[in-house]
Amino acid sequence: MGIPIYPVHLEDPKLQGFYDGLAAGELRITADTETGEWVWYPPEIVTGRPDATLEWRTVAPIGSAYTFTTVVRSLLPGDHKAEVPFTVVLFEPDEAPGVRIPGVLVDADGIEPACGMRLRLKPVRAGDHIIAGFAPAQ
Amino acid sequence: MKAGGVAITGVGETPFIRGSDDTVLQMIARAGLDAIADAGLTPADIDGFVVNQYTGHGSDELAHVLGTGERRFAAVADSAGGTATTGHALMLAQLAIEAGLATHVLVPYAIRSTKPGGVYAFHANEPHKAAFEMPVGFFAQPTYFASMANRYAHEFGMTEEELAAVPMTYRAWAALTPGAQKREPMDLDTYRRSPMISTPLRVADCCLTTDGGGAYVVSAVERARDMPHPVVAVQGIGLAFNNWPHGVLFTQKPCTFEFPGEASAQRAYAMAQVGPDDLDLAQIYDGFSISALVQTEMLGLCERGQGPRFYAAGHGMPGGRMPINTSGGHMSGGYVPGINLLIEGVRQLRGQEGQRQVPDGGNSHATTILARN
Repeated sequence: MGIPIYPVHLEDPKLQGFYDGLAAGELRITADTETGEWVWYPPEIVTGRPDATLEWRTVAPIGSAYTFTTVVRSLLPGDHKAEVPFTVVLFEPDEAPGVRIPGVLVDADGIEPACGMRLRLKPVRAGDHIIAGFAPAQ
Repeated sequence: MKAGGVAITGVGETPFIRGSDDTVLQMIARAGLDAIADAGLTPADIDGFVVNQYTGHGSDELAHVLGTGERRFAAVADSAGGTATTGHALMLAQLAIEAGLATHVLVPYAIRSTKPGGVYAFHANEPHKAAFEMPVGFFAQPTYFASMANRYAHEFGMTEEELAAVPMTYRAWAALTPGAQKREPMDLDTYRRSPMISTPLRVADCCLTTDGGGAYVVSAVERARDMPHPVVAVQGIGLAFNNWPHGVLFTQKPCTFEFPGEASAQRAYAMAQVGPDDLDLAQIYDGFSISALVQTEMLGLCERGQGPRFYAAGHGMPGGRMPINTSGGHMSGGYVPGINLLIEGVRQLRGQEGQRQVPDGGNSHATTILARN
């Protein structure tokens, strides 16, 4: 299985916290500073509360796959023929039910991807940057 | 709104092709003039417009291009895809006519899927997609809908043969449709030779790349009785929205394959005072095989979770108990979001469809229920 190589584009620098977490080997997502509820993806405005503020918090890097797909023909802009196939999962952390984090399935040769499969964060290098990878958990 | 208060009195389409030399504006003009002539009207008779924000052309420009009469009413349908063209715009047109604000309302639409960057380019402008999804390769509708299909299969079960039955059904209808883009027969072997894009979706599971336009005219039923065609009245319209914008729609919605189709169908059925068993045929927005299959369930044409079995049993096929997408839908007929499905429903109810005419046609349903009156 391959790894997609495509740049991380952060239009809003506040989104950088996710990648700071990956660089530290951690999974960080955003929570409402007042209510403590997870708010993901970090929106420009929290629903119904335009003055709300968010902070990055670390969650345990263990969870399960909500769903997945193996991309055989990438539709990302540019030529990605050399990188396919790769498998994308939507990862749900055990500590943040309902939050879904897209990532690449890694270290899974010979393992059929499946909804509900147990996964653990394993950040991976994709060209000159680090992306979210998830490996099968024992 | 009154059930059966307005009718679709004129319909028009351009040819559906991949790689047209026409601009969106030219296709709108051709389809719009075709619909006006089909209604037995002249452009001067059109005094209302409902335009679609995704075409990029407002009613000022369209009225000038078409040479229509004085506009007494103009509105924009700001929803996406078929919701706008088949439900939202039609509802606005009916409200305007019932309020006495317009007599004949034109609803025009066109799409140029072969534009530079393709139909998926707009996703790259979503900040969260650019930040979190594109770097891991989660990008564009075939991949989003493939992930939905895998979750659906996890919850309800779905074999490759059952999924394949959806495009095979629509292709069988396209084979009977002279203007359909893809008419060559599709069996399971043909399906399996279709290139995989994102598991389990192949090219055959996706809507076509189409450049084309469609338009229709809405008039009061009382006026429609004096116009050229059998009256095709709007018996029910139901709209529903889920408040999940595009940036989070495909990942964070609690159930990613849920659409608000059940709510829109219930509203349309209630307005028309009919139920799914009363329908004679259906036109269902088939962006992808999985989404068409789920909507088939949401419209009540089969039990929830039984869509794969419904299609595999051939119920939507020519001669089946519930003909679906009788001109090939978006996956074999042409992808002009929603509007060509509505136009096909109108033509079926007029009884004009020759070899693919569904006998005894009385109702058609997308988010809209039509009836010959």
